[in-house]
Amino acid sequence: MVQVPLEERARRIRRTILRLAATSVGCHLGGSLSMVELLVVLLGRVMKFRPEEPRWEERDSLILSKGHAAAGLYAALAEFGFFDTEELVQRYNADGSPFTGHVNAAVPGVEFPTGSLGHGVGLGVGLAMGYRLRQRSNRVFVVCGDGEMGEGSNWEALQIAAQHHLSRLTVLVDRNGGQNDGPTEAILSQASLVERLRAFGLKTVEVDGHDLDALGRALEEPSEEPRAIVARTQKGAGVPMFRGKGPHYATFNADQLRRALTSLGEVTP
Amino acid sequence: MTGSPTSSTTSSGADLLTSPQDWLREQPGLPNRQVFRHTLARLADVEPRIVLLEADLAGGGDPFPVRHPGRFFNLGICEAAMLDIACGMAATGHVVFAHTFAPFGAMRACEQVRLGLAYARANVKLVCDYGGLSGAFFGPTHHAIEDLAILRAMPGMTVVSPADGLETIQATRALLEMEGPVYLRLGRNRVTRLEVARPAFALGRAMCLREGGDVGIIAHGEVGVSVALDVATRLEAQGVSARVVNLHTLKPFDEEAILETAERTRLLVTVEEHSILGGLGGAVCESVATHGVGRRVVRAGIQDRYDSTAGTHEALLQRHGLEAGALVESILNALPRPRLAAMAPGSRRG
Repeated sequence: MVQVPLEERARRIRRTILRLAATSVGCHLGGSLSMVELLVVLLGRVMKFRPEEPRWEERDSLILSKGHAAAGLYAALAEFGFFDTEELVQRYNADGSPFTGHVNAAVPGVEFPTGSLGHGVGLGVGLAMGYRLRQRSNRVFVVCGDGEMGEGSNWEALQIAAQHHLSRLTVLVDRNGGQNDGPTEAILSQASLVERLRAFGLKTVEVDGHDLDALGRALEEPSEEPRAIVARTQKGAGVPMFRGKGPHYATFNADQLRRALTSLGEVTP
Repeated sequence: MTGSPTSSTTSSGADLLTSPQDWLREQPGLPNRQVFRHTLARLADVEPRIVLLEADLAGGGDPFPVRHPGRFFNLGICEAAMLDIACGMAATGHVVFAHTFAPFGAMRACEQVRLGLAYARANVKLVCDYGGLSGAFFGPTHHAIEDLAILRAMPGMTVVSPADGLETIQATRALLEMEGPVYLRLGRNRVTRLEVARPAFALGRAMCLREGGDVGIIAHGEVGVSVALDVATRLEAQGVSARVVNLHTLKPFDEEAILETAERTRLLVTVEEHSILGGLGGAVCESVATHGVGRRVVRAGIQDRYDSTAGTHEALLQRHGLEAGALVESILNALPRPRLAAMAPGSRRG
């Protein structure tokens, strides 16, 4: 199998996300683009999985707690072979298709349905506890939004992760600084997020969330405790025309798609 | 008495699983929630996939953590996280029982139940005691009068409300044998053992406990079925015969049994320790109205208000008309006069 550089994978995933934004229903664009490197490093460097056998017992698990960024997850799962990218673009929101606007567990590679915020950490803690009880070494990765850290249930579950020393668990926070109604800092500040995660007992690091190497190193660092990675990202990252402030939700017309793809570096006809 | 607080075998050697009737007979009045705990601990002796989660309401005297400490997790006061965690654990092949009080399991963690149990179909059994007004003196924060209406509306849930100890054992075993999410609703207090011949227990299948042709009484749970049988006995003394149906599984709903009861009787009565809105009473009305069965339905249950005055469980139930004497009067007032040709000899209302 030809090794595709992770940078190229990230660019292709972004291309798919932009195409999904150009469907009749659009997608949660900014938060899909901001987490692309997180998913690329997880799926391309860190996680064990078999796309042809999504329920493989030895697999590591990925839970997208910020389930509104479904387009980003679907695009990444397609890039890593769980299904075909063209099938995704054709069937996204098609009548009877599994590709709904919030993460659907009927999509291959998805462990749990998400979209209602504040569930992913608890589900991940449960997986980690269940694997430990079965004496299995599967790792569990949960991707949260920074705005999502306003949900109290996350903090309930984080306490439990620390109490039970769930070293299999890693929580990644996509710290893109934006949420539905505007800037996270203006609505419910997460300025103390790193300190709070540490205080809760998680081994916590803050990294540039678009730096593939930095993310990879943080994820591969051994740990006896559950870990948190606060990934500083930009909404709409990778598409320079958004200047780091991509829209939370977007529905593109053909012209907007062409301009976005050009900005991404695509040569478009 | 049990041989020891953590044993599922009585001093005379009766085993809960192989001779549940004997086991129960030696500990009369044991609350269903304790019966459940002994049952689960006993089942876990033979089923390694069972895990029990608690959110700081395990109480004392549970044999499970003593016998199976590696599969018992008291997670702390965090019902919402507990149910997400339950779903995660279930996904790794465990059969997860999660226990808390009904107001917290069904309402505080309602959306976790919806997402993880109902929608994602986790193999999680949510077991809640303090159903209905059984938390009595502890007040409406600890009552659950709305839980069944909420849980019944969630697609894919199995909702079970056992009547006595034997049924609690039978239900718990049945839940283990089925794959998928369950809400098992128990009370808090001592339970009357039903001294009545009963058909075999099967989830989703109503159980006719008594035949009769005038009134069809449909009930569930610790209070409901006991009151229903008492009412039937009292009605008989007045020349009115009542069919009593124990609908221990509210979902899947045995509509056939309800319609059959409606066809065979002249008045339907529902008895349950739940709001008169949305529970069994609501379900029966939906069924008979949908099928055009012209039967009036008397709904005995908790009235549509929070009851914050102190009192015993029995006193609270009486206030809401959930006792045989008051219910017999309501039934006799509501019972349509039979046509002369169909009138039974000796009928009080002849």
